[in-house]
Amino acid sequence: MISFTKRRVVESDVCIIGSGISAAMVAQKLARTTKGKIVVVEAGDEAPALAKRYALRERFKSYGESPWPDDHLDGYEIDGPLQSRSMQVGGLAMHWGGVTPRWSPEDFRSRSLFGVGTDWPISYDDLDPYYQEAEEIIGVAGEQGPSSIDPRSKPFPMPAIPLTYNLGLLKEWTTQAGITMWSQPAAKNSRPYDGRNECCRNDTCSPICPIGAKYSPDLTWDRLRKANRITLYPRTMVRRLVLDERSSRIVSAEAMQRGAGSGAGTPVEFRAKQFVIAAGYAWSAHLLLLSRSSRAPNGLANQSGTVGKYLAGHRSQQAYLALPMRLYPGMSAHHSLLSKQFMRAPSGDKYLRHDLRVWESSVGREPRLRDDAGTPLLGDAIMKDWRERTKTGVARVRAYYDVIPDRSSELTLDATRRNAWGDPLPKLAFRDAPESAALRGYSNETLRALFAKMARAGGGTVLSGASGEGSGWQDHPAGGCRMGTDPATSVVDAWGRTHDHENLFVVGAPTCVSASCANATLTFCALALRSAEELAR
Amino acid sequence: MRGVSRRTFLAALAAAVPTASFVRRAHAAAVDDLVGRPETLRALGEAVLPSELGRARITANVDGFQRWIAGYREGAELVHGYGTSKLTWAGPTPATRWSTQLDELERAAQRAHARPFAALSIAQRQELVRLALVDFKEERMPPVGRSPHVALALLAHFFSSDAANDLCYEAQILRENCRPLAMSSRKPLPLAATRRS
Repeated sequence: MISFTKRRVVESDVCIIGSGISAAMVAQKLARTTKGKIVVVEAGDEAPALAKRYALRERFKSYGESPWPDDHLDGYEIDGPLQSRSMQVGGLAMHWGGVTPRWSPEDFRSRSLFGVGTDWPISYDDLDPYYQEAEEIIGVAGEQGPSSIDPRSKPFPMPAIPLTYNLGLLKEWTTQAGITMWSQPAAKNSRPYDGRNECCRNDTCSPICPIGAKYSPDLTWDRLRKANRITLYPRTMVRRLVLDERSSRIVSAEAMQRGAGSGAGTPVEFRAKQFVIAAGYAWSAHLLLLSRSSRAPNGLANQSGTVGKYLAGHRSQQAYLALPMRLYPGMSAHHSLLSKQFMRAPSGDKYLRHDLRVWESSVGREPRLRDDAGTPLLGDAIMKDWRERTKTGVARVRAYYDVIPDRSSELTLDATRRNAWGDPLPKLAFRDAPESAALRGYSNETLRALFAKMARAGGGTVLSGASGEGSGWQDHPAGGCRMGTDPATSVVDAWGRTHDHENLFVVGAPTCVSASCANATLTFCALALRSAEELAR
Repeated sequence: MRGVSRRTFLAALAAAVPTASFVRRAHAAAVDDLVGRPETLRALGEAVLPSELGRARITANVDGFQRWIAGYREGAELVHGYGTSKLTWAGPTPATRWSTQLDELERAAQRAHARPFAALSIAQRQELVRLALVDFKEERMPPVGRSPHVALALLAHFFSSDAANDLCYEAQILRENCRPLAMSSRKPLPLAATRRS
């Protein structure tokens, strides 16, 4: 018997592919500024409801279990450092730390100012209003740093999360060390905001906030769905975009309904006037490359040959410093101090820009089973040894430093690994541009020297240090569909519109030209909101 | 000759044929055993947990450890790492191993003192525990579920808790508990007398 699987057709004005934080920004803005029909397509499942998150958090705390069970697709183990396997409604921002610094004005003009990298087609000033808009949508609590190194045109929507007692002491120490630090801005409510709870320092922000005090995209999706402003299709994998036969417009997105329930395996065709790829740095470029055809043999939006190229991120140096002060670890391991004073002009004659953060830490101060002489310890002896070692405190310090991306830092299709539908999986490799590679030793040495100087200023010592270079991984990955004014060297324009297809946008992380030296999500949100403005025109 | 218990039989069967059904039944049998004869585990708690907790809080901690064991889910998806697409899952239940180790402590008590483990003095119990741990070289507290010996698991379970952290610092830090933001700028209050003893 032959069975036919019926194709389902969904029509809309705007079809957004992906449901992470950038998608949520675009959808929210379009829902507010247009009357069009918006559909959102997500390959992963629904995230557990807020009411279930305390219980999920308990399992995480007690057993290390994922608080987002089944938030992945089977068969997606890929070659190279993927940021996260997570794929669900809300994307990676379901388990982000909620850390939201803005980038620095210099990040957008590194070629003009320092002779390295590539200038963005937009400036910090262009992005400033969208940073503000993003901060207001997701609810950022922040403290204005010195305006000379932390420029912004309007105040934060919420006062900063207060410094803990520990961070207060650590701030005094960093001031002694000649470093100006302030409270790290965060997408966490320092007061009830936008119908959500005030943060109460549950301190498991990443991977899970149990009370919704930290912004996560599901909150936006819940609201937009309740208002009937969007239709969200979970468990629906977009496999390729289809080019119109007579023009450069995209006519549809071909998808497949996943899972084991009713409708599983049903092909779905999404037709729309405009398509928005909001699938992060990896899956956005991957979809464009998968969408190759006789008219676009290298994939869509890829006349420049740069789709998947110039993957960007930053490296880090970290150290734990023993300090002669009584700290109380556990007050808040997630909240930190921030300094941007090293994000501006390089302090030496070589190009090194970095952020600096300081946290409380218990590293080197944990209870242990043997003392320094190797003698085994039991209860009373463990507690006595622990108390003795915690009379002084430990600070964790970390600096992300800017890495100039190389063209060969890339996502390609892996002919050797395929998903359940036979589509090649992506393969990832991060590589520094030669100028960054040549400076890596200098960068690491300079940062280690800074940490040692900080320790000395507080009468302390460096306990241990580490660099985040392990597996070729670069943190807060971006790029792969970088923006630019020249269609020969970039994938999208300054608004995220692809140079090759007038009705196809890529938004957020993939459009970044570089990745600064600080957490990136707020910048992805600001870029997505800027794209949404153009989409609405 | 002593017969093989149902628990031991199921543990051996699950090790030899690790199908989900056998593993689940072996885990359940070990949990039943731990719940059904809590004396050895409680006596172990009194030997290895800090004495300043007092008997009632030691018992409460041991009971909490039993609940932890009962709640263990073999094969549960663990939290994802960053920078990798690899996934990890919870390993085989430790309950069967720990239950066997409690049997061994009982046998050692009978051999050395001809009395049950729970009937020994704290010093005698500690000596037997030290002997049992001779082959384990851990310096750091292992994750509870990966503790190679039940005594280490009991230690790890307590010392990784927010209560242990408070006891060490003799302050109400209340790590990972919901706490008003406003109070966090102040030095944590000292532990109340009831919490310390």
